[in-house]
Amino acid sequence: MIVATLKEIDEIRKMIDRYDSVLVVGCDSCVAECAAGGSRETMLLTAALKLSYLKDHKNPTITEAVLDRQCVDDFIDQIADQAPEHDAILSLGCGAGVQALARVYRDKPIIPALNTLFIGETVSRGVWQENCLGCGNCKLGYFGAVCPVTRCSKKLMNGPCGGSKGGRCEVNPEIACGWDMIIRRLDALGELDRLTEYVPPCDWSTSHSGGPRKVIREDQQP
Amino acid sequence: MEGKPVKIVVYHCKNLRLFKDGEQKVFNRKWPGLSLVSIPCSGKVEAHHLLKTLAGGAQGVLILACAESACQYLEGSARSRKRVDYAGQWLQKVGISPERLDFVRVPPMDRVALENLLREFTSKIQSLEVIPAIAKA
Ligand code: SF4
Ligand code: SF4
Repeated sequence: MIVATLKEIDEIRKMIDRYDSVLVVGCDSCVAECAAGGSRETMLLTAALKLSYLKDHKNPTITEAVLDRQCVDDFIDQIADQAPEHDAILSLGCGAGVQALARVYRDKPIIPALNTLFIGETVSRGVWQENCLGCGNCKLGYFGAVCPVTRCSKKLMNGPCGGSKGGRCEVNPEIACGWDMIIRRLDALGELDRLTEYVPPCDWSTSHSGGPRKVIREDQQP
Repeated sequence: MEGKPVKIVVYHCKNLRLFKDGEQKVFNRKWPGLSLVSIPCSGKVEAHHLLKTLAGGAQGVLILACAESACQYLEGSARSRKRVDYAGQWLQKVGISPERLDFVRVPPMDRVALENLLREFTSKIQSLEVIPAIAKA
């Protein structure tokens, strides 16, 4: 899923203060799972904004809505009636959601309420971990399903480096060493032999470094 | 009570059994301005409920929970405490005193403790500046 966090309210206020009416739009998919932009957070941010304006003796119209998914046109349609009635949309979607809204509502300013951070998983309640950089050429099969591109601070394909200590990364002891995890996992699976195979450095042309990527599937098109 | 009644909302866990049938109405008459909302567990209250309640015109919100060890949903009371703290952080961000929210674990069926608590909370809220009502255009 895409993991994000809510921006500070001061930054949001700075961007929306110029509008008399704002539609606050949440997204009930990834960003709901990471407690940043789902229904609950949309209600929270809306109430916080109202309180913040009340305190300043201001009274803009602030309406809330939540889409099942903000990055797909079929779902974006759910606010077709509300969008024209507001000066701007404050999106609690990830960066893709914000840009999808901007593509659909061309005449509306779309303001992000979130900082989109990474592709990750919920490792325990209230903890989200980055674990994929979308390199475009997944090699998890070699590494016991632990991603060296993401979990090793140096993105080593043939690690570990000499700095791994007690399972922690030399870059920052708060970070678990990706290569320590790879070796322990392969050991547990009885597949340490996979590490005898040389894995060439990443070909970054399949990643975002090769420019914005696009997937086109004719069989899925109308 | 003196002066204009201050609008306060109290979310109380139904397992505290503070009121028997019909008793709440009588209690409400004694405490004008107070809204008592019974909830299945204090853990049902989330930060957005609290902020929404304040944005809707309440000047203070009190959450009454069972002791952590007595929570029938095991972790409801503990989670509720964290949520109230989180809502308080949001209030701070918008420049409103987090003292407008209070979370208290009270003994079950203890209306004397409840009344003492209400007196204390009401006077604290009255000492704070009023959250302005929605300005007329
Ligand atoms: S190898 Fe690439 S695609 Fe696979 S998890 Fe790592 S970054 Fe993601
Ligand atoms: S200590 Fe481990 S995670 Fe850190 S850079 Fe070295 S191999 Fe990678």
